[in-house]
Amino acid sequence: MSDELIELEEEEHTSPLTGETFRRILGLLKPHWRWMVGFLLTIALTAGLDALFTYINRGLIDEGIGRGSIPTIWRYAAYYGSLQLVQAGLVFGFIYLAGILGERIQYDIRKALFNHLQDLSLSFYSQNAVGRLMARVTSDSGRVSSLMTWGLLDVTWAVVSVISSVAFMLAINWKLALIVFSIIPILLLIAVNFRKKILVEFRKSRRANSKITGEYNQNIQGVRVVKALGREDENLREFARLTDDMFRASFRAAWLSALFLPTVQIVSAFALGAIVWYGGMQSLTATFSVGDIHAFVSYLTFMIWPVQDLARVYAEMQHAVASAERIFTLLDTPPEVRDRPGALPAPTLRGVIEFDHVSFAYEDGKPVIQDFNLRVEPGEAVALVGETGGGKTTIVNLLCRFYEPTAGVIRINGRDYREYTLESIQSRIGVVLQTPHLFSGTIRENLRYGRLDATDEEIEAAARLAGAHDFIVTFEKGYDQPVGEGGNLLSVGQKQLISIARAVLANPEILILDEATSSVDTLTEALIQRGMEALMAGRTSFVIAHRLSTIKRADRIVVIEGGRIVESGTHAELLRRRGHYYRLYTRQFKFEKEQAYGVAAPSAVPVIK
Amino acid sequence: MSIAANSTYFDFRKALSKNRLAGMLRMMSGYRMAYVAANLTLAVSSLAKTATYLLLRNFADTVTGHTQPFAGSLAATLIWIALGFVALALVEGGFAFLSSRLASFSAENITRRLRNFLFDHIQRLPFSYHSRTPTGDLIERVTSDVDSVRTFFNDQAIGVGRIVLLFVINFAAIWSLSWKLALASVAVVPVIVAVSVWFFKKVSDAYEAYQEQEAKLSTTLQENLTGVRVVKAFARQDFEKTKFEQDNWEKFRRGKKLLKMHSLFWPLSDILCGFQMLGGFVFAGILAVHGEITIGTYPAYVGLVVWLIWPMRNLGRIIVNTSTGLVSYDRLMEIVKQEREPLTEGRVRPDGPARGEIVFEDVSFQYDDGNSDVVRNVSFRVRPGQSVALMGSTGSGKTTLVNLLPRFYDYTGGRILLDGVELKDYPRAWLRAQIGIVEQEPFLFSRSIRENITYGVGRDVPQEEVEAAARAAAIHEAILTFPEGYNTIVGEKGVTLSGGQKQRVAIARTLLKNPRILILDDSTSSVDTETEAEIRAALNRLMENRTTFIIAHRIQSVMNADLIVVMDKGEVVQIGTHAELLAQDGMYRKIYEIQTRIEEELEQEIRAF
Repeated sequence: MSDELIELEEEEHTSPLTGETFRRILGLLKPHWRWMVGFLLTIALTAGLDALFTYINRGLIDEGIGRGSIPTIWRYAAYYGSLQLVQAGLVFGFIYLAGILGERIQYDIRKALFNHLQDLSLSFYSQNAVGRLMARVTSDSGRVSSLMTWGLLDVTWAVVSVISSVAFMLAINWKLALIVFSIIPILLLIAVNFRKKILVEFRKSRRANSKITGEYNQNIQGVRVVKALGREDENLREFARLTDDMFRASFRAAWLSALFLPTVQIVSAFALGAIVWYGGMQSLTATFSVGDIHAFVSYLTFMIWPVQDLARVYAEMQHAVASAERIFTLLDTPPEVRDRPGALPAPTLRGVIEFDHVSFAYEDGKPVIQDFNLRVEPGEAVALVGETGGGKTTIVNLLCRFYEPTAGVIRINGRDYREYTLESIQSRIGVVLQTPHLFSGTIRENLRYGRLDATDEEIEAAARLAGAHDFIVTFEKGYDQPVGEGGNLLSVGQKQLISIARAVLANPEILILDEATSSVDTLTEALIQRGMEALMAGRTSFVIAHRLSTIKRADRIVVIEGGRIVESGTHAELLRRRGHYYRLYTRQFKFEKEQAYGVAAPSAVPVIK
Repeated sequence: MSIAANSTYFDFRKALSKNRLAGMLRMMSGYRMAYVAANLTLAVSSLAKTATYLLLRNFADTVTGHTQPFAGSLAATLIWIALGFVALALVEGGFAFLSSRLASFSAENITRRLRNFLFDHIQRLPFSYHSRTPTGDLIERVTSDVDSVRTFFNDQAIGVGRIVLLFVINFAAIWSLSWKLALASVAVVPVIVAVSVWFFKKVSDAYEAYQEQEAKLSTTLQENLTGVRVVKAFARQDFEKTKFEQDNWEKFRRGKKLLKMHSLFWPLSDILCGFQMLGGFVFAGILAVHGEITIGTYPAYVGLVVWLIWPMRNLGRIIVNTSTGLVSYDRLMEIVKQEREPLTEGRVRPDGPARGEIVFEDVSFQYDDGNSDVVRNVSFRVRPGQSVALMGSTGSGKTTLVNLLPRFYDYTGGRILLDGVELKDYPRAWLRAQIGIVEQEPFLFSRSIRENITYGVGRDVPQEEVEAAARAAAIHEAILTFPEGYNTIVGEKGVTLSGGQKQRVAIARTLLKNPRILILDDSTSSVDTETEAEIRAALNRLMENRTTFIIAHRIQSVMNADLIVVMDKGEVVQIGTHAELLAQDGMYRKIYEIQTRIEEELEQEIRAF
């Protein structure tokens, strides 16, 4: 399922507001309560003033025009004008306060989420798609913050408008007011029902839309197959079915929305009719003036708008509560790997590293590593080889303490590494990943990621050592060349060289290299090899190795299959054994030679993965 | 092509125009009357609204005795008036609904056929277009640009009409009450419109800056989440927090700026509109006192003038949004104006399938942009049913050469004959139906395995036949291990196919298609030995009785070909059978020798231990 669909489903999820969630939502507002009080006051006053304007107009009609007094007209106009100015000030106030508060709350939520995400363990990331996490931070935060500001504002406005209209109507003529109020429940019923129906169609159209996008995407990416198989007409027929679905849903949603307002208006026309008839009859007894009629007609509209708006706000509130719950769930997730109480900073990692009967399972009952034993002397280079899925990467993840063993102990300097702080371990381990990950920004910024206080000279020295300097200076801006989003302006080989240089700069005590399988041109390949050699010199290193040169250079080769060590020894020892390693080696040998002679498939990946 | 004939398809090439508004108008073809009708019904609705206020005037004047009750007794008149309000509300609501319905019906229909057209158009554009256009860019255009064109037809195309109609009708109504009042009521309107246009222009810039920062923030977030291993490996959590904090704060700052603009515009325009209304009220009051208008005219005026002034505030938004729609029109037309690849044009239309004799005569090819030939003076002949192996390193031109056969690209020099007729004389659709392509790692669509196998076969295929093809392609057993067998959707629920499996699905598909000519990309070096034998057997079954072109890298896979064509730098350097080529001193023998040498070297390597 695509990220877009995941997001869609989450968006459709609604929750009733529970006490606990409500308390926590209020907790988010707590630091800014002054702002909230401010906008609630200003919106309440704004709505109240709206009702007052009508009252003023009534006075103007009855006392001014009715009695033919121009000074009275001017007096009321002066009231009106000054209140207009006051109201403008209030409008400024609530837009400013609610709007900025909304931005601020979103800022707060995003910050809390991001900071918490940094502390979560890798296991959390392997269980949660990036798209989902992105949605937490981007859209869920927006939904919650707008509920707490604009949503709350709409509710306050609606409630105050209705109450003040009701109050003024009661004050003018309570009997007529009661007749008019009888339409309120009808309006609410209509509003809620319409909202539901429209929402259903709206969701359908969102769903159809994301299918349409998916279909565009596939057809463009697979255009070669489409052309080769001459499937254009059938594709169009299939696609037209999707756009038909889209048409039906969005047209229905559109006309339902268009029907809503007229329905409300017609219902309220009955109230208007009642006002006219009753008011007209009353005027015979002179207890009901033209100003009163005018006022009633206006108050009627003040009542209708909020009522229909409340239905919308209520629907949005349910979604926002669901968003808030997802946010709180994420914030409540504890990191699986964290410092034990009383953990000490490791003085150094330059010591014996020992895997002692280590087992590990991502899921219960499905061990990836079983009873793994390995002792590595300081400065030793160990090559881990074996088929994909054998457990090599897991071993490296355990060593980095991205995960901790489910059984057994990993010791550094003879001490269980869980007795050390995470920071002191991870800051001393250098990792070069198989698919290098760069961040948007310049090459220099990416290199400096290895050591934040490195000088430009040190950065350049590291780049030289890693063999990256030469290609960097060919760029127009040299070290200040932007690498693009995720480094996509650079070639794979260049990204690898930069990630090596980054590790060089970090000057780690333990080195972990996951050799890339994707092929790069021979020159870059040689550079990468040399860079890796430079990096490994004098350090304890673990290499998930694919290439023979790397494997042969290791002090020890460990062949891993099914989460266990099946063979271990030097290159010569293992070849003599004619076992697993021997088979891997002969295949890889042919492959590499064919590549070297330029007779192999150019894009093929190495045999040993 | 049934779909081209129906209303859900329209040739948007007819909407190409230098004048964007004229272009938009042409896009509306077939729905222009609907838009006229939408505006007319809207006018009726607005008239009813205006009539409501005029009726209110008559009512107020009747009860105050300024007018005689038109139905004789006051009680009867009041009932008529009350019913009149309900009736007018029905007309107003009914026609407003009709108008919206017409507008959205047209907009949704135009959008549907626009989507259909773009989908079809894109899949019919030549390869040269697809190879130079990034998928993301196309997707962006067919989704968000289509959407803003849709918004244009849905909102702006009718919105301007709505505001203008409201203005004209209500202005006329007030004019009929008192021309002086009418003029006094619109004094500030030009200022309101000007301020509104100016503001929305400003706001759209600020909004863009805000969105830009939002995009930057999500990039930072995404890079952090996808690079979580790097972040943890370098223990850079704090650094990341700071980076996110900066982006997050900047977004807050820009949001604040945007809201400040809103918080100033709305109250200011409130004051403008409010004082314009107040001026009207006072003036109307004075006129009423002087007896120039009746007392009942006053509340009617107050109701009418609202619809004269407030909509003007939104005119700015509509005008600014229109420019968004026009920019999108341009971006879409850039796709629409691309020349399609004709599929059915051709002088020769054979009744049956091709025999499969292919002759290359002095064939050359170069890309539109490149100056040097990618393929140069290639000549050779293939008899029906023969197999031809193309050998050579990357960039030697062998892939380009086979791309010329289905006319993915047209050769630029010499000629290629199929069964004695030049390729350019056949319709592409027929030609492609004669050719089957099996790529090394074919593109599969995210639909069921069954649908992928029958994709493009162009007829209903019974399940037995699908299974027979899958068996012959050695993929049947593997399919049965998937959660839902043949109905398993590719890419869903973690069902990912290996390169070898994909290739075998493509083989099954090609077996069903049963073409006379076959193009095989045979780079099996990355597949492990067990599946290699299976694939080889499947390929051999596929090649029986078909003219076959094999792109290959290994002597092993070309030895048995009837003809081996060795290519280098776009030219044929050797042609012959395996035995003939071995006897010659040339590239082929060199490759052969290298591969034999590799075997020997390996022997030596291993013997040393």
